[in-house]
Amino acid sequence: MRFAVDGWDPAYGSGMEAEGEILTESTATISVDIEMPAGKWRPVDPSPDCAPPGAVLFVDGVRRVEARVWIDDPVSADGEVPTEATPALCASYAAGVICCSGDRSHLVGAQMRRGLFSTAAHATDIVTRTGSYTAHRVAATTAVGAGPGSLMASLSQALQRRLGDIEMATAAEARSITHKHGADKHPDDDLLVIDGPLRGRQHLPRAIGYIKSHRTTYLPDELNAMVGRLEPGQRTPVFLMGTSWDRHTWYLRLPGEPGAPWSGVVRVECAADLPKTEVIRLAGQSQACLGKYASAAYKDSRSPQNLYPIGGLERELRHRLGDPKLLYRALRAASIRA
Amino acid sequence: MPAEDSESEDAVQTSAPPVGLVAGTEDSTPLQFCVALDEDSYLQLDDVVVTLRDVPDVGPVVTSGIVTQVRARHEGASYGSDVFLISDGVLPARTQEIAEVSTTRVEPEIYVPPRPGEGVRRATGTERAQALYFDQMDSRVPVGRGRDGDPIYVNMEFLDGTRGAHVSISGISGVATKTSFALFLLHSIFRSGALGPRAVNAKALLFSVKGEDLLFLDQPNVNLNDDLKAEYAALGLPAEPFASAGFWAPPIPDDTTGRPNVTGRTSGVEAFWWTLEEFCDKQLLPYVFADAEDERNQYTIVIHQVAARLRREAMSVGDYGAVKVDGAVLRTYPDLVDLIIDRLTDEDTRADWAGPVTGTGTVNAFVRRLRSSLRPLSSIIRADLPPGPNRAISTENQQLTVVDLHNLHERAQRFVTGVVLAAETARKEDAGPGGLLFTMIDELNKYAPREGNSPIKDVLLDIAERGRSLGIILIGAQQTASEVERRIVSNSAIRVVGRLDSAEAGRPEYGFLPQAQRARATIAKPGAMFVSQPQIPVPLAVEFPFPAWATRLSECAGPVQSTPRTPNGSAVNGSGRVSSVAPSADLLSRLPDDDDIPPF
Repeated sequence: MRFAVDGWDPAYGSGMEAEGEILTESTATISVDIEMPAGKWRPVDPSPDCAPPGAVLFVDGVRRVEARVWIDDPVSADGEVPTEATPALCASYAAGVICCSGDRSHLVGAQMRRGLFSTAAHATDIVTRTGSYTAHRVAATTAVGAGPGSLMASLSQALQRRLGDIEMATAAEARSITHKHGADKHPDDDLLVIDGPLRGRQHLPRAIGYIKSHRTTYLPDELNAMVGRLEPGQRTPVFLMGTSWDRHTWYLRLPGEPGAPWSGVVRVECAADLPKTEVIRLAGQSQACLGKYASAAYKDSRSPQNLYPIGGLERELRHRLGDPKLLYRALRAASIRA
Repeated sequence: MPAEDSESEDAVQTSAPPVGLVAGTEDSTPLQFCVALDEDSYLQLDDVVVTLRDVPDVGPVVTSGIVTQVRARHEGASYGSDVFLISDGVLPARTQEIAEVSTTRVEPEIYVPPRPGEGVRRATGTERAQALYFDQMDSRVPVGRGRDGDPIYVNMEFLDGTRGAHVSISGISGVATKTSFALFLLHSIFRSGALGPRAVNAKALLFSVKGEDLLFLDQPNVNLNDDLKAEYAALGLPAEPFASAGFWAPPIPDDTTGRPNVTGRTSGVEAFWWTLEEFCDKQLLPYVFADAEDERNQYTIVIHQVAARLRREAMSVGDYGAVKVDGAVLRTYPDLVDLIIDRLTDEDTRADWAGPVTGTGTVNAFVRRLRSSLRPLSSIIRADLPPGPNRAISTENQQLTVVDLHNLHERAQRFVTGVVLAAETARKEDAGPGGLLFTMIDELNKYAPREGNSPIKDVLLDIAERGRSLGIILIGAQQTASEVERRIVSNSAIRVVGRLDSAEAGRPEYGFLPQAQRARATIAKPGAMFVSQPQIPVPLAVEFPFPAWATRLSECAGPVQSTPRTPNGSAVNGSGRVSSVAPSADLLSRLPDDDDIPPF
């Protein structure tokens, strides 16, 4: 397979790559009567009965496009040199799990992959000095006339799906490890915090999704106003939200400097099919433990929502992706050899 | 070390697991590299490590070195306060230790850096010996144990003059244990077998300026227990006192019996003095003017004039060493001084004694200085005592010669040191380089200061520069090497450093210490020394054992074997355990409390 590396900085134009929720759904169906009737909504204080879990597992993943490449069309049977090429992405991505238990916080598992995302049917793995990029063929769903922009978006989405896959794999693996190494006296006394929406991972037991930023207003105005009035540690009652998928969710304010009405507010979600008591237990646990991990403003520009363990995990994972300059150089060297 | 050990040592070496890998975050060079340590392993300062690299067409290249620094830090923390988050289990981080290694040896000599990722292991047995060049030392002297508990050696060839000579020991008084180390070194030189048959003719000359703690070197230490014996045995040394020792002390001032001026030890110490006849005949007058500033003054010409005159004029009178000059019989130093002053102040004789063109100002300066020497020197330059057989200090009849100077005025100390050293140098010159004479001088900065000139400094410089061929080895101890004549320090093959003052540690005289060791020298514990020798590029930290000999009366295991001299004659009784049992309080108070007293 012949390919050429695009000389442009791979970061160029990546602003359009969303961090998961690519499209903003505007037609969410909301059911607010899960925990208490809408008329009686009030901020929920942390319950003293709800003990924090024995171990909190934080799952996150990072991705980085190493280069945009152009894969030459295959040489035709009559030996004619092709003139057309298909764009593709070479990306590194990694996922890992941090286990915070007692006074110890450590990485329990991490996986790193490199992939070539392309719609070209003849795309094969790219082997470089610094690692090989596994070819992932992406179905060309977009119409031909949709332009390269949407093509890149679908490649990026494919990358995001792969990242989600390994996040789930590491999470499952980490759970089995933490149970095995016996650090936790009660094997089921753990909470899995997934950075980002829970979508596609609802089946994981004792798992919550953790959403840092708010793009859409889901609640009706009168209830929504209450979110801004939450005190640190308080949360809204649980409500059920249905967009393209259903989940239980609630807003929670993390401790931190007072600021804008929504500063320090995160949205936490859990699976829709859980019994109500379990949902409320998870919500209580999120109140009991997440505040401890909230970051300080001078240490993290996304404070307090970007939790310390997640910040540390991202740093570690980015580190594991390797030196981008070195990887880029190796890709260029490989493209010349190919 | 016996060669038969090597087999069992080989077995140890192959089983040593790596403690870490060569780190890649810092530049790895052939002379210095870093080791990232396993979570379960550790390296401490002074550990000896070895790493192996396969070089194409050459084969395995072994790089060995000594750990000179170890660092630990949290990886994943960017703020100082992160440590609280990390210990609360909030922020994930990993503690990583990095050891910095200074290369001591590359074998074969292909200077390639150890590559990041290569395993590093502790060097033991043969590998350790190779790393520290012990395998290349034909005869070696143990100087203590390394941090790993195994012996550290010094190459005898750099001690006995074959390839180098002289030892310079620096360190603060009180905690640096300079004297104790020097004595241990002498013990090791004499008893380790490194000298071979030459040990018979090897002598040591010690000047004791700090109390009587060197007067018990031939007595076993009462604190000598099995642990200490084992420590000595581990170094291949017997835990015994010096077997053959002679002690000299000045006579008691204003006492006409010629007893030595010592209180702790009542027997086996000889009193020393010089007769006026010797003083005149051997021209000892210059050593009376041994202050550093003396040489800068005009009157030195007078000294030599007078000394020459005395030698010419003095005639021996009687058995006590008195002299007759110009018809006058002189029996004491004041007699002599009076005569000289008389001749110099007399207009008629001044030209004969001081030289024809010497001005009165110069003569007066001389007279003033000479007169001030009366008190310090009267007790050791005299002709009023019956000459005993052992009055003269000599290294001839015993291995270890101790000259106790602590009761003497500083000026007299200089006189004695200068005269004895000059005499021994002359004796060695005549005798040829047959045996070795190790000369230990404390407070070398006093005798051979960096600035100025003096007769003693001339003698010491002569020893430093020619002593190697004469067989005189200088063991100099000083608080500050920066204040000692540069040529003496630079001629010392072996440099030893104990606890240093931090200002002193920064001086260029200690350039041989790597930065980390300099910092460590400021916190070195008593009994710990850094030994630098030409063959090993990094100074080695050693700990030497507690003395096996007594360093004070209360440490003597038995009675100091003695002829009873105490008034009531009860020094020796039937039990064999005597006056040493109850040393009087004032006796102990005489012991110095400022330097080098074991226990460390």
